[in-house]
Amino acid sequence: MKVAAELLPSQGPITAFVFLNTLQALEGLPVEEGMKKGSRLFGCQVYLPEDRYREHLVNGRILREDLEAELEEDLQSRGADVIAGLVTRKAWRMAMLEFPLRFGPTEELQWFVAESGALDHLRDEMHDSLRQPFINETRQWAMRDLRMKTSESGIHRQDSLLQHNLFGDLLARFGADSIERWSDATWETFSLQALWRISRHGVHIRDDHPLPVPQPLRHQNWMQLATGEDTDRLVHDVLIRFCAAYADQGFAPWALPKRNEGLFRSFAALYGQPSGVPDAWMQGLTREIQRIERAGLTPLQSVLESLELLGVGEAEWPEFIPATCLALRGWAGLLWQMEVRADRVPVPAPPGTLVEFLAVRLILDRVALVATARRHGMETQPLSELRNVLQKMLAAPPQASIAQRAFLVFQLAQVLGWSAPRLAKLTKQDWHDLIFEMEAFSGHERRRLYHEAFERRFRVNSLDAFIVHACRPAKRVESPRYQIVTCIDTREEGFRRHLEEVAPTVETFAAAGFFGVPIYYRGAADAHFATLCPIVVMPKHWLTEEVALTLEEEHRRRAQTRKAIGQASHQVHVRSRTIAGGALLTAAFGVLASVPLVGRVLFPRLTSKLRRRLGKFVETPPVTRLCLERSQDPPGPENGHVGFRVSEMAEMSERLLRDIGLTSGFARIVALLGHGSYCLNNPHKSAYDCGACSGGAGGPNARAMAAMLNDPRVRAILYQHGVEIPRETVFLGGLHNTCTDVVTFFDLDLLPSSHRADYEFVIRTLAEACERNAHERCRRFQSAPLNLSFAAAHRHVEGRSQDLAQTRPEFGNASNALCFVGRRSTIRGLYLDRRSFDQAYDPKSDDAEFTILGRILGAVVPVCSGINLQYYFSYVDSPGFGAGTKLPHNVVSLLGVMNGPASDLRPGLPWQGVEIHEPMRLLLVIESTPDAIRKIMARNAAVERILRNEWMQLALLNPDTKDMLLYRRDEFTPYAPITTELPQTESSTNWYRGWRDHLGFAQIRPTSSPASHH
Amino acid sequence: MDGYRHIIEWLGLIVVGGPLLLIPVLGIPALLSYPLSERFITRAGQTVVVAGLLASLGILGIMLTVHTNQVPIDIGNWVQIPHYHLFLKIEFDRLSVPFVILSFVLCGTIGAFAARYMHREPGFNRFHVLYSLFLAGMIITSTAGTIETLFTGWEMVGLSSALLVAFYHERPAPVRNGLWVWTVYRVSDAALLLASVVLHHASGEGNFDKFLGTASWPEGHTVLTEQQAFLVGLLILIAAIGKSALVPLSGWLPRAMEGPTPSSAVFYGALSVHLGAFLLLRVSPLLDQSRWLCAIVVLVGLTTAVFGAITARVQTDIKCALSFASVTQVGIIVAEIGLGFRYIALVHILGHACLRTLQFVRAPTLLLDYHNIENAIGARLGPNNSGSPNGLSEGWRMWLYRFALERGHLDSILMDYLVRPFLRVFETCDALEQRWTDWLSAGDSRQSEHARRTAAAPDDFL
Repeated sequence: MKVAAELLPSQGPITAFVFLNTLQALEGLPVEEGMKKGSRLFGCQVYLPEDRYREHLVNGRILREDLEAELEEDLQSRGADVIAGLVTRKAWRMAMLEFPLRFGPTEELQWFVAESGALDHLRDEMHDSLRQPFINETRQWAMRDLRMKTSESGIHRQDSLLQHNLFGDLLARFGADSIERWSDATWETFSLQALWRISRHGVHIRDDHPLPVPQPLRHQNWMQLATGEDTDRLVHDVLIRFCAAYADQGFAPWALPKRNEGLFRSFAALYGQPSGVPDAWMQGLTREIQRIERAGLTPLQSVLESLELLGVGEAEWPEFIPATCLALRGWAGLLWQMEVRADRVPVPAPPGTLVEFLAVRLILDRVALVATARRHGMETQPLSELRNVLQKMLAAPPQASIAQRAFLVFQLAQVLGWSAPRLAKLTKQDWHDLIFEMEAFSGHERRRLYHEAFERRFRVNSLDAFIVHACRPAKRVESPRYQIVTCIDTREEGFRRHLEEVAPTVETFAAAGFFGVPIYYRGAADAHFATLCPIVVMPKHWLTEEVALTLEEEHRRRAQTRKAIGQASHQVHVRSRTIAGGALLTAAFGVLASVPLVGRVLFPRLTSKLRRRLGKFVETPPVTRLCLERSQDPPGPENGHVGFRVSEMAEMSERLLRDIGLTSGFARIVALLGHGSYCLNNPHKSAYDCGACSGGAGGPNARAMAAMLNDPRVRAILYQHGVEIPRETVFLGGLHNTCTDVVTFFDLDLLPSSHRADYEFVIRTLAEACERNAHERCRRFQSAPLNLSFAAAHRHVEGRSQDLAQTRPEFGNASNALCFVGRRSTIRGLYLDRRSFDQAYDPKSDDAEFTILGRILGAVVPVCSGINLQYYFSYVDSPGFGAGTKLPHNVVSLLGVMNGPASDLRPGLPWQGVEIHEPMRLLLVIESTPDAIRKIMARNAAVERILRNEWMQLALLNPDTKDMLLYRRDEFTPYAPITTELPQTESSTNWYRGWRDHLGFAQIRPTSSPASHH
Repeated sequence: MDGYRHIIEWLGLIVVGGPLLLIPVLGIPALLSYPLSERFITRAGQTVVVAGLLASLGILGIMLTVHTNQVPIDIGNWVQIPHYHLFLKIEFDRLSVPFVILSFVLCGTIGAFAARYMHREPGFNRFHVLYSLFLAGMIITSTAGTIETLFTGWEMVGLSSALLVAFYHERPAPVRNGLWVWTVYRVSDAALLLASVVLHHASGEGNFDKFLGTASWPEGHTVLTEQQAFLVGLLILIAAIGKSALVPLSGWLPRAMEGPTPSSAVFYGALSVHLGAFLLLRVSPLLDQSRWLCAIVVLVGLTTAVFGAITARVQTDIKCALSFASVTQVGIIVAEIGLGFRYIALVHILGHACLRTLQFVRAPTLLLDYHNIENAIGARLGPNNSGSPNGLSEGWRMWLYRFALERGHLDSILMDYLVRPFLRVFETCDALEQRWTDWLSAGDSRQSEHARRTAAAPDDFL
């Protein structure tokens, strides 16, 4: 059960989107094995289709040398083995990779051979230098050996006779008499025909060691193979509806009866009653449930009984139970999450719900199997024999046919230039080896190789760029105008880069976007606490916001108005679905609905402006405060227990400053920016919010941290610990809206008037950086013209966020591929195309135990690899691992989305959110040494698991020598850069303009000081 | 007098001809594998809708200024043989003009919505071809002056709807549900076709103004006798039941939610679900003739309303909840028609269509809405058990919940008592035929049926 539960999707309510490795349960395995096992368990693809990679080979995204290098590494010494005396294993595999091979069912291949001219013309891919020898060899052989009835020498007598039998009629068909006058075209055709025949003849041998074919596990699989009927369809129809009713968080006006007695009991109560006319197949269900009720079985006992009745022995459980749970994995996973993370849903499920789910599912499975088997006239007593009955109905498991194998050899022989006479010399053992080699390098293996080459090309380009750029002299910005700390998010890479271009005197840092403040937070206008910290952390503190005392009266009045409006709109929402209320609403006021309908669809920006203006009258008054300081222990959500002690504040503040290496050289203003995304009509909205705040906006965290750092008592403690923050330094907390590219600050009323001018500079430069950032984002939106001005681009992204019809309000972290942990000065001025997570870390200030780096990696490795692999799997198999296209999505139970009226829940990211992604494992580059990493891996099991099993690629940049080490197979090996130069550009805009796809690296070298212009 | 007729004829041509022209403009290039740009497709759709909307507003304006209630436009006799003639005619009156305007407004809005919502979707072109087919179907049905014309539009709506439900044809569920919708539509089409045959047989006319009287809607008086009116009316009611998802054929409406959100919104939630009610409105003089017919219509309407309201209360997903809410209101509208409140029914249709479209289009934003409302109210929005029959014993309440959750068992009843027996007849015939052919060919006559799934390529083995 536990194995099954770990495999299930870890997505709870979709309002807090969770970025975790889809195959997290398999992270204990090396990545290749984990991928393979995951692919089989989930029945999904883990790599792109081969054709996609081959396209990349054609357009230069993958180079031939990448393939060769990866093959070399993969095969090691085995690459030099010669197969069948013809070719080395490496060359053989290279040929299988490089040239498109045609696979297909036997019938299709036979048709293809007969109709497409495959036997008339050599393959186009065949190299020119091979063509003539290929034909000449066959020609000589035909002239010399084939025509003679008996060989003169007598040695190859047997062979020749055989060959004569094989080719005699072929010669006759082409006209053996006129053989000396055959044209070149005839010889080409003849060579191919001969090759085809010899291939067919050669592969016609007995398979001594056929590759194992996985056998189906569940009864449903067997039933589907034998009769074509899917019993899961029947079962899921009931189960989805029921699970949705059980999991419902209060959408349906009527709650499920007896819900509080648990899933099993409430199912038994609902379906155990005799009800009018159930579906034909469910007629046995009532009796079965009543029997179980009478016997008084607990859910667990019922599971055991079902397994026994189905004839599933204990040895099979470890595979059978996960497979059964995975058959409806979205719902099963959600119930499991409601059970184990009860703090994240308003209406949780009690422990043991997943077992109850399994019990219900197995009962339904049994009933459906019996009904289906009966309809097909099968024996159903006892049910435990059903699998054997079905197995007998099936033919032998599918295996490669002669034609399929022969056609592969035929294709490969051409591109390798093997003519018929060469193959004719092969012995039986040779043929055997050849076939084994061919099938051992299966589609899955080829795609893995391709994938590694795909990653390699990017890795080489990135590491080269890092090395070249790091070698230039670098130091921190001297006496910066202001400093800014953003989230490590890839979206902030672009934002910071533009800011640095707009204002070169600004210094930027990055830290995980909850700024080390894990909290349950409730704003002044919120009804509930939201969790703002990474999913792996359980917050221990609560934080609330309240309106300034002077505005208390105003606040109360507005809250009442909001409440009235809220209640009214809820009534409209619910009543419009009833008889009387609906009739009144639709008949009397329905036509008025056309006004917002037309307005919001045709004029989204205008309508939203209007709404915002009206909203001004009811929103919370502008001056609010965080209840930051706690007066009573322990921390809790009640008054007095909210907030932190000063010592806790100091501890968190110091940790953040030390983590990012900002312990000296403070500017007059230090801004901390959380981020969030605002968009409409998007159930997956929280997937665009801050990943480090588990799908929330990190504004409150930034605000809290800034307030702590401004507290003189905190500063006093920090001073004692050796961090001196100058008196004139002011911290500002803010929020970056990544969808509209707008920055807002909190607690501005507390800003000293002495800092007014500094603040205005901050605002002006940030606004310009936002416009440019929006402009760079627009290049990825197909519906935004490439020639927009900065201001127009900003308007465009604002429009996107207000548009009901917009399915791509932004692209989130879709372009992620890199993660850099080190000093900003090392990579400042390097164009990273919004593809890099960036965590500030100063190796110089770390201790001998690498405490700081350990702390950083403890968060960065799981969080970033979670985001990266979530995108990876949602991209490579969108309908399987991802959520598919979002257009038919349907919000259910206020928790998730289904496809259309009923389907499994869709965890994962929708296609519209990942379509620009390049699926690659994240490449983590750290300014550090192997010693540090080894120490940290020994301390932290999660980091060790991910890095050692290579679910993330790791490279180390030596902080002093700028040498690069690559970590593979648990070894650090020096990486030798290929290039020593990078393209140079005046500004980011100059580099990216006019281009929609991913871009290469470049160094930004402004020639003149940037002026404020558009 | 004639001047304005001339103008209306021209405007009418724009109203009906525009959408009809759009089908080949979008469809033929696709057939010739010449993909059109998203921009062009969107522009073409918008042009047609805006022109059509302006033209229909123009017609409304003219009709109001010259105080006329009915403007028929003849397109002539297309087939004329003894005992039968196929006459095409469109008509602008107090019923069709509001309906045409409604169709243009909603289709236009949703067209603009879909242009962005469907952006970069592989089926963008297909969606818009089906959309233009649907639009043309709606306009023709609304303006039809003869039952044959109406049938043409009715079929176009049905075809495009079924194909849009099955829009994601790479997954099995949409295809299955699309087929379900299509089957129900065919039943309702058959009823409408029969009605038109019976009409021709009884009165020799398919023209509404002939058999429903020349007075403009809704004041017409039918020339049919009570029995004839009852028979024709009953057939038309069956057609309406299928198209408007009334009991017992309500099961298809939630199934239609398989398509992309905009198509569910405008097509099933708002427009096509009202076509049955529209048809009843169009032939309302028949209802006046037969009291029994009225009683049946009211009964069907009220049953549907009650059924929809009960079922909607247990739906946990937004689209199904909205579709059962639509069923409820359409039931009430039909009951209103049966009771003789024609204008109320018309206003009810217009209002319901607009509100429901807005709700469907906003369906994906449900989570955000709930979040905002909860923040405003300051409490969780749980189930309120509104309308829950407290007087009932627990057993009955349980039964009622199950009844609602299983959607009144309507689909399984249809499946077990209608579809299966129907199929069994054909399966029996098929078995007989096979025996016959086996005998003729002295052996197995259908080898192809035994063909197994061919072995996959060796590559498929992991």
